Amino acid sequence: MLEIQNIHKSFGETTVLSGVDLQIGKGDVVVVLGPSGSGKTTLLRCINFLEKADKGEAIFGDIQVDLHQASKKQIQAIRKRTAFVFQNYNLFNNKTVLENVTEGLIIGRKIPKEKAIEIAKNALNKVELEDKYTAYPAELSGGQQQRVGIARAVALSPDIILFDEPTSALDPELVGEVLEVMKTIAKEGTTMLVVTHEMSFAKDVANKVVFMDGGVVVEEGPPKEFFENPKEERTRKFLRRVLPDDFIYHI
Amino acid sequence: MPNGLDIPFLIDTFFVALTGVPIAMLITIVSLLIALPLGFLLALTRINRMPILNQFSRVYVSFVRGTPVIVQIFIIYNSVPLLLGTIFEKYNINMNVYEVNPIWYAFIVFSLNTIATLIEVFRSAINTVSKGQLEAAHSVGLTTAQAFIRIIIPQTLVVALPNICNATVNLIKATSLGYAMSLPEITLKAQVAANASYNYIEAYIAIFIIYLLICSLVEYAFKRYEKRLRKYQIAPAA
Amino acid sequence: MEKYFDATYIWESIPALLPFLKVTFMVAGLSVLFGSLLGLLLAIMKLGKNKLSQQIAHGYTTVMRCTPSIVLLFLIYYGVPAIFINFGINLNDMSSAFFVVITFSLQFGALMSEVIRSAYESIDKGQYEAAVSVGLSNTQAYGRIIFPQAFVVALPNFGNALLELMKEGALAYTIGLIDVMGKANLIIAGNYNSHALEIYIGLSLIYWVLSIMIEQFFLKLEKIFSKGRKDLKTA
Ligand SMILES: Nc1ncnc2c1ncn2[C@@H]1O[C@H](COP(=O)(O)OP(=O)(O)O)[C@@H](O)[C@H]1O
Ligand SMILES: [Mg+2]
Repeated sequence: MLEIQNIHKSFGETTVLSGVDLQIGKGDVVVVLGPSGSGKTTLLRCINFLEKADKGEAIFGDIQVDLHQASKKQIQAIRKRTAFVFQNYNLFNNKTVLENVTEGLIIGRKIPKEKAIEIAKNALNKVELEDKYTAYPAELSGGQQQRVGIARAVALSPDIILFDEPTSALDPELVGEVLEVMKTIAKEGTTMLVVTHEMSFAKDVANKVVFMDGGVVVEEGPPKEFFENPKEERTRKFLRRVLPDDFIYHI
Repeated sequence: MPNGLDIPFLIDTFFVALTGVPIAMLITIVSLLIALPLGFLLALTRINRMPILNQFSRVYVSFVRGTPVIVQIFIIYNSVPLLLGTIFEKYNINMNVYEVNPIWYAFIVFSLNTIATLIEVFRSAINTVSKGQLEAAHSVGLTTAQAFIRIIIPQTLVVALPNICNATVNLIKATSLGYAMSLPEITLKAQVAANASYNYIEAYIAIFIIYLLICSLVEYAFKRYEKRLRKYQIAPAA
Repeated sequence: MEKYFDATYIWESIPALLPFLKVTFMVAGLSVLFGSLLGLLLAIMKLGKNKLSQQIAHGYTTVMRCTPSIVLLFLIYYGVPAIFINFGINLNDMSSAFFVVITFSLQFGALMSEVIRSAYESIDKGQYEAAVSVGLSNTQAYGRIIFPQAFVVALPNFGNALLELMKEGALAYTIGLIDVMGKANLIIAGNYNSHALEIYIGLSLIYWVLSIMIEQFFLKLEKIFSKGRKDLKTA
């Protein structure tokens, strides 16, 4: 459903992505792992054109675009099929919770207001924020803000939702509520590309794990295989560093 | 004057006006020396909500910041002789109040004005230096006075420096109003020079350049100093 | 020359001065209008990618920051007609309000360019990214998300710039504008320079009340626009 081919991206002298390929099928939950600075965020941003890749292609169902020189129309078309959940939420500070969700529906998708509000309320109920419609982002906890961020993405019913470390800005006790919501929407068949350091999420929810390091994909595979039987030395090293000793046996 | 500028006159006036610079700088420095400590102390009375002094500072700041400097100058220039006259008469002091050097008026006006600005500058700067700093100082056995001198004030100054720079530039510019007190500073000197020949444009270009030079230099000096301070001190998070 | 203090002059001066606020307001209003347009242009130059126009805009702001109002005022008053006479246009009979508005528009423009620039820069670029990621166009992202937030940030600084303008505007009397300040000087001259102190005190009361009103007005506005949005105010 989404295929990324040969993405390259440098910032001045530093090369961040050097030829990344990625295949995601409908309903897949793909988790991207990798040390900090390995280019995970940049990969997601290039897919959504928040960053312009130096080279690369995306095949998105029936559309195929050059990631380096996409037209405005193509960019809009891809963005209509994707949604982004940001590490630091990026809720619109000047809009209420409900307006945060309806904004993209009414203005971006031209959905009639009545209908948009109905969709937005459904999405917010799904993330258990039915009592916060009229609150402003500044009045919410981090966990609540991120759940609005997820509702905002879900409401657009995109073909795929891109998550960039959605829980890493949260206090530890708030991580659970956000992961729960992500699990729920994954079970509903939402296609997701998730950058995260939450290994349990990767193990329980993903059907594919991709390990990136130094701007390339080092290894990828189903989570069971990936965690129990990593093939590459670099992967093993990374897993030893980030996993508790009894991770595999416990979960 | 369709034939362009009288360049020789411009250059002459530039040097005439330059002789007004020392007076302008003297006023600036004296006013700052008076206003810096007083502004800081009054800022403390605002922060600690000291009765009477707090209200007084509030009204004082509001008035000075709410009225034009030129009006403040006229008020001081007209009221001080009146006051002094009464006092001299009462105590039989034989002195003519109209022979007082106008620079004294300038000191008073610009100090009073700068104090008001600095109260606000220090108030917000002190607020950004966290309360934790005072508590930490107490916890290692410093007295409140020591904590202020060694911990709080140095940090406050770093935070306040850009605004003190602004206040200084504004003060230098405000000395151009010294003409209203017959003070022979930069602007008045140039005006007098121009009066004879009606070469006003040249005169104002000359002093325009002088103010530009002085203020840029002052800003540059403050920036340099700020950089040096920041090297040794981690600025407290705002 | 009588040299005693008589408070009745204060109360008598105020009603005589108040009608001339009209002139003060008119000159200030026009300067705010033209100055804001100039400030917007300068801010766009500063935020744009072109290095040369960045430098021009920053240089202009520095020059304005370093020039006393009275110097700028006279420079414009004598300089502008001298320039225009070279093109055969005679501005010598223009009203002094004309030169006052030019002067303070130039000055206010520099102030506003900094107000606009810093307000714009205070908005996290994630706001723009989130907007386009939910399908808003570039224009919609700016119009609906960035500018409304920047506006709230700019409000108090705009209020301060306005106060500054009003106070500096008092110097317009030096080139003959009859606003409240100019009228006060006329009254004093009419009294053969006696009781100047009382008149100036009356004048200062007018300015003071006006400043407090402007300040309160902007505090109210800020409250209305930042309702419930705490981090906008602290941003
Ligand atoms: N806008 C940028 N300008 C310059 N360098 C950047 C920029 N964005 C990211 N980088 C650099 O690219 C590298 C990869 O960043 P990122 O994609 O954020 O990694 P990750 O998300 O895996 O931690 C880092 O070294 C980072 O410093
Ligand atoms: Mg990242």
